Amino acid sequence: MIMRSTTPLSGLFRRSPFKPIQEHMRAVFSCICLVPPLFDAIYAKDKGQTRNLSRQISELETEADKIKSTFRLNMPTSLLMPVDRKDLLGLISDQDSIADTAEAISQIVTFRDMIVPDKLKSHLDELLEGTMEVTSEAKEMIEQLDELLEVGFGGREMARVTEMIAGVRRSEHNIDAILHRARRALFEIEAELDPVSVMYWYKILELLGNISDQSENMADRVLLFLSK
Amino acid sequence: MEIIATYGTAMVILAVIFGLYMTWGIGANDLANAMGTSVGAGAITVKQAICIAIIFEFMGAVLAGGHVTSTIRKGIIDPSGIAANPEILVYGMLASLLAAALWLMIASTRGWPVSTTHSIIGALIGFALVGIGPEAVKWSKVGSVVASWVISPAIGGTIAFLLVMSTRKLIFDTDQPLRNAKKYAPAYIFMVGFMISLVTLFKGLKHLNVDLTVLQSFAVASIIGAMAAALGWYFIRNIKEDIGTNRETHFASVEKVFSPMMLFTACAMAFAHGSNDVANGIGPLAAVVSIVGSGGEVMQESDLPVWILLLGGGGIVLGLITLGYRVMLTVGKKITELTPSRGFCAELAAATTVVLASRTGLPVSTTHILVGSVLGVGLARGIGALDLRVVGNIIISWVVTLPAGAVMAMLIFFTLKGIFG
Repeated sequence: MIMRSTTPLSGLFRRSPFKPIQEHMRAVFSCICLVPPLFDAIYAKDKGQTRNLSRQISELETEADKIKSTFRLNMPTSLLMPVDRKDLLGLISDQDSIADTAEAISQIVTFRDMIVPDKLKSHLDELLEGTMEVTSEAKEMIEQLDELLEVGFGGREMARVTEMIAGVRRSEHNIDAILHRARRALFEIEAELDPVSVMYWYKILELLGNISDQSENMADRVLLFLSK
Repeated sequence: MEIIATYGTAMVILAVIFGLYMTWGIGANDLANAMGTSVGAGAITVKQAICIAIIFEFMGAVLAGGHVTSTIRKGIIDPSGIAANPEILVYGMLASLLAAALWLMIASTRGWPVSTTHSIIGALIGFALVGIGPEAVKWSKVGSVVASWVISPAIGGTIAFLLVMSTRKLIFDTDQPLRNAKKYAPAYIFMVGFMISLVTLFKGLKHLNVDLTVLQSFAVASIIGAMAAALGWYFIRNIKEDIGTNRETHFASVEKVFSPMMLFTACAMAFAHGSNDVANGIGPLAAVVSIVGSGGEVMQESDLPVWILLLGGGGIVLGLITLGYRVMLTVGKKITELTPSRGFCAELAAATTVVLASRTGLPVSTTHILVGSVLGVGLARGIGALDLRVVGNIIISWVVTLPAGAVMAMLIFFTLKGIFG
């Protein structure tokens, strides 16, 4: 006679909601990691490489999307979770918009052959560096969620994460300043460039700025976990 | 009376067979569930779990299992109405055993999380209703069983919550979590040993004719607790910090301290389960043996023979060896959300609650208390996600089990009455 287990206990546990969040963030981050190489390819006017990187970014974005939708679809309403369900869904949506923004940038540079004005290069490099910094800080913060769970979102670990949140905020503020300088530089060379390109450069700067804004939004969501 | 005189031996043999069937079912499923937490948290292997279960389940049944038995036997129904027809009570006990065992089997194959304790209570009520009359059921006691659905998980949950908070305060939320984990671990293990042995000593050893004063009991429990603590200290003293994993906090190393500690809670859990759940199988068996042995005396007071406890313990172990390991394997693989530290808190709380409850004679369900304890850990924001729908299903199964056991017991009762009558 084969007796199946009743195992009410094993059914009691659902997968930790933080695992998919972290998995998703890793996919998003690897997406962002391809943005600086993408600009290097544009600098080098290497159209093949630009297209190639842009395709990779798009693939990673799709992967992140899949993780996001599985997460959303597989989170029953009947879960007892240590954090608010709404905050968790908000967090993954913020993470996802980072990947979306990276994809949007990569699309612009493939449907137009963007030529980088020399005077903008240094600003762009600075901006890319800042973007990498803020997103990697945001990723680190997400990786801390397990430790936060272990101490019940309080105490020393909370102080550590609060410090990380402040770090993301500082980086975002820093990027705002860089962004301002880059726009100013672009304004000064506007007359030398063709108007449509200028429009798209403004667009690209704005999108790069969005990435850090979204990282800051993530930090705010994590702060909500702590303040519950 | 003459029916008992004629068929006495056959009745005892039937009771032994049904009792073994019931305890086998308990071991195959219930115990495996109770021990699954330790296996699931990765603290012990399935093999270790089986060895622990065999030894401590047996000890729990023999050393502390006597008390709940009398509640099962006399607490729920009042047999004084049929003092002139003792064979009715024998049919009833046999019917209850078989009904509960069958219900346990049906539910297990369907995957319903039923309670063995409540199957037997439901069956007893069912028999009493048709065999003696509705007035024979002690409805106030039934009320207290229903109350235990709320109270016992609540106690388990509260203790688990407090334990999680204490590990957080003393170990995780400190400058040196690993050092503090090693420092406080023996104290936690002491609590396990002390609590289990104290409650056993207080009332459990009556049928073994061991009588200690309160002070002596405290002393013996302290010694056993200290021995367990020393053993635990020996296990964990060599754990080194794992620098590679989680950078500043070293929580992974701390969990390594809790892994051997879970060995002790696994023992406690098996012990608690034995002391509480063995009564489900042997309570009615003991009643039959006592009626037949006294030649048909329904109301006589008698001590529980040790051989019945041994039989019950043996049946549970048999169930565990034949099928329980498979259940344990499933539970072990499916539960991944419990780290050793959280599992430790849940199991220690559950074991404490079960042993306390079995000493007060309240027939509680181990699985339900464990569910309560796990919920307590979750409420302390210690578990990623708990499925509350599963909790709902468990509660439904508690409610359904009583009438299901009752109806089956009625049918079997009339069948037996027809055969012997």
